[in-house]
Amino acid sequence: MMPQGVQKKVNIDKRMKKLFQKRAREYNSDDDDVEEEEEKLEQSVPSTRDKIKKDEFEKEFSDDDDGTEDNGAEENDVSEDEDGKIQPGIMKFTEGIKAFSVAFKKIVKKTASTDVLGPVLSAHKKLLAEKLVEEELERKDKGEAKKEKHSVREKGHVKPANYLDSHEKYLLGIATKGVVKLFNAVNKAQSAQKGLNPSRSKDEKVIKKRRKEAFFSELGKAASQSTGTVAKVGASSSSVDGEGPAWAPMRDNYMLTNSKLKDWDKMQDTMVGDDIRRPAYSGSSSDDE
Amino acid sequence: MARFRNNKRKPFVRQITKKQPSVDHITGDKIPKSFVFSRGKLPGPLRQLQMDLRKLMLPFTALKLKEKRRNNLKDFLNVSGPMGVTHFLILSKTDSAPYLRVARTPQGPTLTFKIIEYSLAADIAQSQLRPRSPQDLFKNPPLIVLSGFGTGEQHLKLTTIMFQNIFPAIDVNTVNLSSCQRIVLLNYNKETKLIDFRHYSIRLQPVDVSRRIRKFVQNHQVPDLRNLQDVSDFVTKAGYGSESEADDEAATVSLATDLGRVNRASNKSAVKLQEIGPRLTLQLIKIEEGLCSGGVIFSEYGNHGSGKKQKTDDEEHENEDNKDEEQESEEEEDENDDGVEED
Repeated sequence: MMPQGVQKKVNIDKRMKKLFQKRAREYNSDDDDVEEEEEKLEQSVPSTRDKIKKDEFEKEFSDDDDGTEDNGAEENDVSEDEDGKIQPGIMKFTEGIKAFSVAFKKIVKKTASTDVLGPVLSAHKKLLAEKLVEEELERKDKGEAKKEKHSVREKGHVKPANYLDSHEKYLLGIATKGVVKLFNAVNKAQSAQKGLNPSRSKDEKVIKKRRKEAFFSELGKAASQSTGTVAKVGASSSSVDGEGPAWAPMRDNYMLTNSKLKDWDKMQDTMVGDDIRRPAYSGSSSDDE
Repeated sequence: MARFRNNKRKPFVRQITKKQPSVDHITGDKIPKSFVFSRGKLPGPLRQLQMDLRKLMLPFTALKLKEKRRNNLKDFLNVSGPMGVTHFLILSKTDSAPYLRVARTPQGPTLTFKIIEYSLAADIAQSQLRPRSPQDLFKNPPLIVLSGFGTGEQHLKLTTIMFQNIFPAIDVNTVNLSSCQRIVLLNYNKETKLIDFRHYSIRLQPVDVSRRIRKFVQNHQVPDLRNLQDVSDFVTKAGYGSESEADDEAATVSLATDLGRVNRASNKSAVKLQEIGPRLTLQLIKIEEGLCSGGVIFSEYGNHGSGKKQKTDDEEHENEDNKDEEQESEEEEDENDDGVEED
């Protein structure tokens, strides 16, 4: 296959060579060959007709390129070749130019349609437009659905601002106050047991004793000093009392408002040390409201 | 290629994980543990929120809890018993809003919150100039501060108790302040009936020390002394300071023991908080007696306390079996309140 192709190519090359040579000759000696041209024009009337037909054809397919035209020209030439007057593959340059120029002018003259669809075959134009519109709608629908889905997914999701607004500042203040309160309470509690190791049993006893004392002193102070606040606590929780649990120790205000236990410090020996330990400080730190 | 198997395969080693104690070794209290999981399929941001909540609940939570769609509430409940899990935080989502349910296991009660707004920890970090994340931030449980809940209403009281018990109690006498790294704040707004949920990291820094010296002590880096005439200038020359850096007198504490290199017991320290996230705005919608079931104690929309069968519209139930009402009313009340609360 390959060598044949090569041979063919060579053939064509030869023909083309001749063609080019002739064209070059004609081009160079344009003025001299006018007469010849005229003669040849007469001979090739049918061919020009053909070309006119072709032009009409080109009007329809306006975006035809010169390649097809060349092919047509070559075919014509071949037919002429059968007559034996013109060599195969050779066409008069001016004629070729003429046909080409006409076609080309038409193409150039034609203003590109402002239509979005561009130069498309008229039959397809409508269909294509419909299709495009449909696609657009579909895309829009899809986008909307996606957006909706996204909004459902992101519901409630808020990006915080870069600065602290007043509300955030307020919350930060509350949190800071809480931390300070706790740290102070810890400081107060732990400074009392400084230098003692809670894991040693000997120290532990001392610590326990101190805590007990501290707790009782704290309670006593609360009872004597801030009866007002205690009363307030009682008042605030009195409405709750009816629904509270029946068992007294389970109530929040157990031992705080009960008048019977007012003199609790005189009966301290009945209490268990362990029970007292924790509520002491957490209570003092938490129930300050 | 399967023939050439690596003969030096590693022998199976059972991962020795330190078993978390279920009881605090100093105070002897039971440590509350929690599961954070979701019901139904969650969208991406909410899944992230779930992860953030898990991190918030550290260290006594299952950070890598795997859940399948097949798992129902009973599965979690069955596991929770042997693992000593006391609280469930359940995220769910409807078309109207995401929801957060906080439940005590195994018998309830269950608080249902509607998440009005939320921001992820990543969002918070993104909004900050210098997000802070020390290594051991999540190694200790956070403190909890409840504010504005003291209105005397029963459902708020229950909420208070619930959230106080979700983290281990702090014993003021034994607590190590260096373990207090985070704080969770819940603030109830009386007017809007919304609860603001915030998560901050706590930082202490000495008062009355110039910024330069503080940084020098903290960083252990050789300072740039090019522009100074004398070494003493480094100490005496005041660095730039902004108004906001000025220490608030109310936010200073004196420590019982030294805390790190910088904060000495001898001088005062300022408490600085920085938000970590997540940030939630919650609305208490419903309280049920059981674990996601049982009679409704409180309902935001209906007249609460009356109907057992009352159901709010935008809430789905796992199963609707009514339990005895008395069963957990005692359970809620016997929890002593610890932690820091203030008004």
